[in-house]
Amino acid sequence: MSICEIVVASGKGGTGKTFIASNLAYFLAKSNHNVIAIDADVEAPDLLLALGGAKGILWKNEYYGAEVPIIDYKRCMKCWKCIEACRFEALRKGERGPIVDYNSCEGLGVCGLVCPVDAISFKPRRTGLLYAAYSSLDILVITGELDLGGKNSGRLVYELKRKAYDLGKKLDVEYLIVDAAPGIGCPVISSLVGASLLIIVVEPTPQSIKGAQRLLTLAKLLDIRSVLVLNKYDLNPGYLGKAASLLGVPVLGKIRYDEMVVSAYTSMTPILMLAPGSAVSRELKTTFERLMGLLT
Amino acid sequence: MTIIAVSGGKGGTGKTTIAVNISLILSRVRGHKTLLVDLDVDNPCTYTLLGVSLREVVHVKSFKPEIDELKCTLCGECTRYCPTHALVLIADKLLFLSSLCEGCAACLYVCPTSAIKEGRKVIGWIKEAGKGVLDVIVGEAKPGERKTDDVMEETLKYALKKLQPYDYVIIDTPPGTSRGIYEALKASDIIVLVTEPTRLGLADLKRLYSLTRGIGRPIIVTVNKYGLKGGSYRELEDFLSREDLPSVFIPYDNSLLRSYIRGECVIEQQPQAPSAQSLLQLTDKINEIEIKIKKKGLL
Ligand code: SF4
Ligand code: SF4
Repeated sequence: MSICEIVVASGKGGTGKTFIASNLAYFLAKSNHNVIAIDADVEAPDLLLALGGAKGILWKNEYYGAEVPIIDYKRCMKCWKCIEACRFEALRKGERGPIVDYNSCEGLGVCGLVCPVDAISFKPRRTGLLYAAYSSLDILVITGELDLGGKNSGRLVYELKRKAYDLGKKLDVEYLIVDAAPGIGCPVISSLVGASLLIIVVEPTPQSIKGAQRLLTLAKLLDIRSVLVLNKYDLNPGYLGKAASLLGVPVLGKIRYDEMVVSAYTSMTPILMLAPGSAVSRELKTTFERLMGLLT
Repeated sequence: MTIIAVSGGKGGTGKTTIAVNISLILSRVRGHKTLLVDLDVDNPCTYTLLGVSLREVVHVKSFKPEIDELKCTLCGECTRYCPTHALVLIADKLLFLSSLCEGCAACLYVCPTSAIKEGRKVIGWIKEAGKGVLDVIVGEAKPGERKTDDVMEETLKYALKKLQPYDYVIIDTPPGTSRGIYEALKASDIIVLVTEPTRLGLADLKRLYSLTRGIGRPIIVTVNKYGLKGGSYRELEDFLSREDLPSVFIPYDNSLLRSYIRGECVIEQQPQAPSAQSLLQLTDKINEIEIKIKKKGLL
């Protein structure tokens, strides 16, 4: 069976991605499905925490997501072809040859490509960490962390997903649940490529709807089926219909606002487990059951 | 002139709300000439909160390959070199996937038949609005283009060239720790880290604090949504006192919540509300630190 990858995203941060993703992963695991949860918000990872914290780390690796050029000044004949070729203005003329500005360098290797005398070699550069852990709820989580000022968070996300697919195949995993980064940028694009379904989490505010519209533009470009979850809908009930019609995407479910959601984080327990009988949990279950219906 | 960056790793803690409100306080309440720079290029919201309309001033562009199908022999050389697989060979066609392209131009150099030419693509826009004493510069990424950090950096560069007339520059950053954000933090004099009193907020604050400390700017922690039930208050307060960090707490009152939901600014709608008052305190705290920095500079 092929793996079904569900991405939970929102154009704007703080609308409840991690809330939905953690409860969905828990819901699937509880219904005897084999799941891996991926935290693709590598600039503020917290999915593992929301699923109970790490019980045991499976593996942990440094991630070398960029390459930096090293100039061999003995070989360099100062033709400056590399400076001409670099699109990021990361090279400038120096006494003995080009000088690299490592802050601007994107590490894509064009300078090495054009150098006629092979004076440029490359050294991998660390951009973050990635690791897999079983959470204390026995859910397998693959997560990463981008270093400050790190580049190519999108590549780190690709790597997370690649690892998840490798592991998923070995373990016969049915579902990958991806908690995406906020926004529509590089890491979100990486999260979406190859996904089976996108769940867009919106809250009833103009800012959130605007973000969701931008995210949808991206999803359409990448041709990914999208559904909406209206979170905290009761904070502004009048906005519900407006949101749905503005976005023109099927509504999978709506979840009310409950302060218990915060306590659930404090105790590092998904609300479905902490308060299974609560109204929020009932709404979550209805939403996820509808999701299962959609997928089968 | 003082540059203040409002930042935080986690999304939705209230960075924009705080950046916009302190900009309004500095400009409209206190009469300082203020520039608000919105670097949340994925979903810029400051201008909608302020109710101003923008004019486009710059198209941010990047390289893209222009493929000459007549010259292309489908040798696939470019697809082998493209670091992000933005060029793919399918049957008898070379496909270009703009969303994946990083604009490095490797394809241009490796094509043996010069079938790839220099092209440009728009990856975002820089926009401006003036509103009396408060001006706004906004960066906006084009959906589907992945070079959002470049749009951020270009917007920052553009703004840094225009600092001269201002007393204050407030930079609203997107959530995260990427390169564009790092550049913005380095360019500022004071960093306001926004968090919320939840377990996830605290975990994120700790991570961000350990990362930003190295930049060597004074930090003010702003705890938004203070009073939220079920929050991790003790751990948060322990952390703040252990690290001896100046902090301001913004209560989660109805005025703030209502303004947020409607897309308005509490300082304008309900200036007497406790949340609005604490935003004034935050501004005072910023001024205190400013004075300290100035004194140090004189010594
Ligand atoms: S292309 Fe090679 S030889 Fe020419 S300046 Fe660059 S490093 Fe030196
Ligand atoms: S410019 Fe670079 S990333 Fe874009 S298609 Fe060419 S080789 Fe690929």
